[in-house]
Amino acid sequence: MKVLSKHDFNDFIDALISDETYHTHGVKSKGEKFVFGPLESHQDLRLDYDTTILPPKKYLLPQYETLIECPLSSPFEIKTEHHEKPIIIIGVHPYDIIAINQMDAYYFNEDISKSYLERRKNTIIIGSDIINTHDKAFFGSMNTAHVDTGYDLFITDLGDKVTIEIGSDRGQHLIQKAARVREATDVETQKVKALRLAAQGKAKRGMKIEPNQWYSLLDQNYESNVWKQQSEKCLACNTCTLVCPTCFCYDVNDEIDLKGNSKRVRTWDGCMLRQFTEVAGGEVFREDIKERYRHRFFRKGKYLPDRLGFTACVGCGRCSIQCIPDIADPVKVMNLVFDASESFVEDLETKPKSIPVETIEVNEEDAKPLHHPMSATITNIKKLTEREKLYEIELDSGDALHHMPGQFVEVSIMGAGEAPISIASPPKKKRFDLVIRNVGEVTNKIHAMKKGDTIGIRGPFGNGFNEEELKGHDLLFIAAGLGLPPLRSLIAHVLDEEYRKDYGKITILCGCRQPCEVLFDNEINNWKNGEDVNILRTVDKCPDGECWEGDTGLITKLIPKAKFNPKQTMCMIIGPPVVYPFCIQILLDLGVPENHILVSLERRMKCGVGKCGHCQINNLYVCKDGPVFNYHDIKDLPEAFA
Amino acid sequence: MTKKQSKPKIAFFDFASCEGCQLQIANLEETIIEVADVVEVVEFREVMTEQAERYDIAFIEGSISRPIDEKRLRNIRKKTKILVALGACAHLGGVQRLGNQWSIKENLKEVYPTAKPADIKNNEFFEKPRHKAVDEVVPVDYVIPGCPIDRTEFIRVVVALLHGNKPPIPDYPVCVECKKKENVCLFTIGKFCMGPIARAGCGAICPSHGNECEACRGYISHPHKDAQIDVLEKYGLSAKEIMDRKTMYTYRYVEKEKQEEEA
Amino acid sequence: MSTTKEVSITVEHVTRVEGHGNIVLNAKNGEIKTIQWQISEAPRFFESFVRNRPYYELSHITSRICGICSIGHALASLKATENALNIPISSQTEHLRKLALHGENMQSHILHVGYLVAPDLFRVGSVFPLISSAPETVKKIVSLHRLANEMSDLICGRTTHPITLVPGGFSAIPSKNKLNELKTRLEKSLQICSEVAQVILDNADKLPDFTRETEYIALTNKDEYALYDGMIGSTDTGTHSVEEYESIVNEFIVPQSTAKYCKHHRESYMVGALARFNLNASLLHPKAKALAKKFKLSPINYNPFMNNIAQIVEYVHSVEDSIHLIDMMVDNGLNREDKPSKIHLSAGRGIGAVEVPRGILFHDYTYDNNGLCTKANCVIPTNQNHNNIQKDMEAFTPQLLEKPKEEIKLNLEMLVRAYDPCISCSTHYLDVRFIDE
Repeated sequence: MKVLSKHDFNDFIDALISDETYHTHGVKSKGEKFVFGPLESHQDLRLDYDTTILPPKKYLLPQYETLIECPLSSPFEIKTEHHEKPIIIIGVHPYDIIAINQMDAYYFNEDISKSYLERRKNTIIIGSDIINTHDKAFFGSMNTAHVDTGYDLFITDLGDKVTIEIGSDRGQHLIQKAARVREATDVETQKVKALRLAAQGKAKRGMKIEPNQWYSLLDQNYESNVWKQQSEKCLACNTCTLVCPTCFCYDVNDEIDLKGNSKRVRTWDGCMLRQFTEVAGGEVFREDIKERYRHRFFRKGKYLPDRLGFTACVGCGRCSIQCIPDIADPVKVMNLVFDASESFVEDLETKPKSIPVETIEVNEEDAKPLHHPMSATITNIKKLTEREKLYEIELDSGDALHHMPGQFVEVSIMGAGEAPISIASPPKKKRFDLVIRNVGEVTNKIHAMKKGDTIGIRGPFGNGFNEEELKGHDLLFIAAGLGLPPLRSLIAHVLDEEYRKDYGKITILCGCRQPCEVLFDNEINNWKNGEDVNILRTVDKCPDGECWEGDTGLITKLIPKAKFNPKQTMCMIIGPPVVYPFCIQILLDLGVPENHILVSLERRMKCGVGKCGHCQINNLYVCKDGPVFNYHDIKDLPEAFA
Repeated sequence: MTKKQSKPKIAFFDFASCEGCQLQIANLEETIIEVADVVEVVEFREVMTEQAERYDIAFIEGSISRPIDEKRLRNIRKKTKILVALGACAHLGGVQRLGNQWSIKENLKEVYPTAKPADIKNNEFFEKPRHKAVDEVVPVDYVIPGCPIDRTEFIRVVVALLHGNKPPIPDYPVCVECKKKENVCLFTIGKFCMGPIARAGCGAICPSHGNECEACRGYISHPHKDAQIDVLEKYGLSAKEIMDRKTMYTYRYVEKEKQEEEA
Repeated sequence: MSTTKEVSITVEHVTRVEGHGNIVLNAKNGEIKTIQWQISEAPRFFESFVRNRPYYELSHITSRICGICSIGHALASLKATENALNIPISSQTEHLRKLALHGENMQSHILHVGYLVAPDLFRVGSVFPLISSAPETVKKIVSLHRLANEMSDLICGRTTHPITLVPGGFSAIPSKNKLNELKTRLEKSLQICSEVAQVILDNADKLPDFTRETEYIALTNKDEYALYDGMIGSTDTGTHSVEEYESIVNEFIVPQSTAKYCKHHRESYMVGALARFNLNASLLHPKAKALAKKFKLSPINYNPFMNNIAQIVEYVHSVEDSIHLIDMMVDNGLNREDKPSKIHLSAGRGIGAVEVPRGILFHDYTYDNNGLCTKANCVIPTNQNHNNIQKDMEAFTPQLLEKPKEEIKLNLEMLVRAYDPCISCSTHYLDVRFIDE
């Protein structure tokens, strides 16, 4: 531990501020509150602050960030990003340092975000000990009052002196600007320890369980009355997620200006807003305020621990301080749930790590700009119905998509946005097919396009059908409505003579609302000619005057008619949400084992890479863990078939 | 947009208003020239003499209060492809809608105490609601809310319409924009703000300057009003005070509730 | 030309003025049957619906009387409220409010002269053709307009419907740095002002040479060219206290007209830039004075068309005065005003008078013990001008009858525009049935 006089420390701060190679930011006052912002002199710096309005996450994931900027007329002429000066942030409390590490774990998990990584590397953290504590802070209960790593420098204000701990080479380099830095004496070190102990003690607010017990408590209390009682007062203003250091969901929107330039902009989003789970067709998957309110606690205490292994709350107290109806306080809420629970048995096997979290190292080469689309050309368009068209697409690079049946792509139209569309063709060909229904702004624009036009493609994304799981079995396909295109990719694949022998008997059940909505009529008729293939078709109803040879009635009526061996058959169902519970029940009743049923679920997919948070079904991301799920794995997920 | 295509014709009309929203168009300064590059302004009484027979987009500012205004508005609706309500008066009825609390007789008496009964005898508005929003008279395609409108939002809407997109008007609360700006929340310094149920898109301009949000852009589509009332009671305000107090722009919702209660 | 012709002109909804007004002229054989200035603006009844609103809402509501003079209305409203409830203000607040008013005056005058009147001088329908025929001048006008707006944005948060003006002070104030930046921009703009003024001067001969002896009424103050504060001044009767405003304004209804009229010492009176100039020209700052001289404008000038020239002169004065105000505030240091001062509520009545671009404005409020407004009266400058416009039209039209119809129409419209009327502010009008077709 090093130490220098306050006077020299102030000079050090001023030296950093006047150094043109950095932006120097730190905690300063704003009215009666505190914020992180640019410093003009050491006098601005307020190391005695209790907490800031917004956490330092705004430096790593800005409130508004341009992901892509290009002229509308040439959407792949993406302007190169500028390289910013490094930013020094002075005064980051330990709990916020831990939160930054948690954010790293998230943004470096699997798909590494290049823009996040660049900003992270460009950020120099000077942490500081907590001197004043807000009444609502509870970092003492969460064991986040102190960190040993995660910073470049760490300072403790002792009044007339300031101690400094060096956490990295960069920190070592910076400290050379300071004069008369010496080793700390034992007394000085003791003072620092005492200060830390005091802070820890102050921010313990009587939480009745340990942080890593949140997991079991929540797991056992999904249906607790507390969620409804508390959420009745909720305004759904989203403040809690905006001010939270461990909330980092985002939305992406396109903007166009008068001169015809467009931008794709990332901005903070939150699960408390109603539109968070709203899809183009108008459905809202988490509409009730109680569900959204509950989701926030589960995300922190159960879902992120499931994915990354630690409880995602650092006890800063910001949500509690700024929630107007005062229902966001995790200590209060966990205690209420604990009191209301009939019994609480700690599940030792699934106990997540105690925070703090280790710093993550990443390989820069693995980082990608996650939102840049590839350019592709529409090679053919076929009108299928009044609302649906088939687009045949090839990547301009000449590569194949290398997709698995069941995966999807994000189709990008600069200026309008992106739409997630399942791939409707088998992986063998370079060209791939998309069936697109005209239902929203992006799909509207796609429908106006012509053969030869260029579009953007990102992907393929998601968990497709696992061939190994299916080989050696009979297959039953249940395709309702727009569920047929993604199943077509698998059907065409298994019917291909190269692969046909890997699979047994094939039964295909197709249904839609009326004859005029039938997709791929000719192809289906061709499939009938395949070896050991049985096809049954139905429409919900057939209007007078229309010609229809198949059955009439819901697709569920077809299942018992299909002759198949339940124990030997893998069943794939894709259709609108309402179809699943009924079809699944019939299959189970017929003796199909739970793990022989595969479904493809859809939610609002935006990023496709498990970062933006919109497609969550409880703890799962449809874009990463799905869209294809094994029923056995999700049968107990409350939000799967709601 | 190709150069061969002619520019869309846009026009501005005003009814009962302060004309502040149209002034925002003039306040676009140099950007007006960029706007004039992509649209043709064919009628705008406040700044030009010319008129036209057909419009692609008609912007309507002001609330509608008399039969003659309704007639003029219907005529405009016939002549235009797209009709956009511009500002709080056109969207909700404006502050003047508060006058609907009293009968026209009472209003006239208050403002013109020396008026003779004969002068108001033939007034046909006696029992009917007076100031109305534009969509209470003709179908409205889009709304640009606010008192006054935000001129950058106006540009965004024009650009969206030119590209065949839906105008990007947010449907989330002002709190979202206020927090992103890291403003000190007015509730934490003892003030009462309509932010949690008011529609964002203004950049939380009033709270950013220390003033409570007055919901001049109307409420979001699904405001949690019951929760709001609960919060207010915590601050020692009764539900009645809320309904009466913070209704400068939102008297339309009060009227609607009263109608629903009576029905 | 023979004088036996019949002239019948109806201008419905005069263009390039704020609000809706009509001109009706009927003449035969050189004799005028009807010459009327009619107001067809829909009433909004502000004085009625502010009843029962709490004191802190009044200025927000009344600023919505007008989009262009919203700052002026807010200030008159605040002065009335502060008067009624005995709320003191600091000198810093007064300086900032004066700055806000200058910003509004500048914005309104340049908009009016540059966008609405200049087209007449160049004989075009709007400012749009001028963008291609006189691009440099238009750019300069736009830059001056932008500066005025950004000034109001800085002081009030927003130029239309100000945000930071509250009873007792400001809810947020600009930083010293920003004020100094503004001052630099204002200083640079003086050169552009004189260039634009020169263009107007070069075309000033297109303004009709018409005079009619008139009474002029405006705020007057012995220390400065009054805009924010003063007593009521009249070129006929001297100074009067603001409390006496009702006896000055004397609103009355004329059966065959659609608007309330005002009169004082004569049949009608005029308010506005020309009135202020005629009463207070000696207190103008040097550059403004020099400009007036260039335009041969000196008190008392009885030509209503010179009102627009007086507006240009006032613009320059506002720039000069703003620079002085900023210097004063920066020297004194700026105090934070986050914490609102305690306001004691008790019943009372207060009157606030302020000069807005178009003339003298009065707000008169009465409050009860709970701080709720029980009565309000607003006398708008344009309203005070309607009678004078009518009288001017009656005197001017005979001179026009010899001209072609289009010329008569244009001249009458120019007369209306000279007053820079703000018709939608005119909350006082009466007869709905008149304009039913």
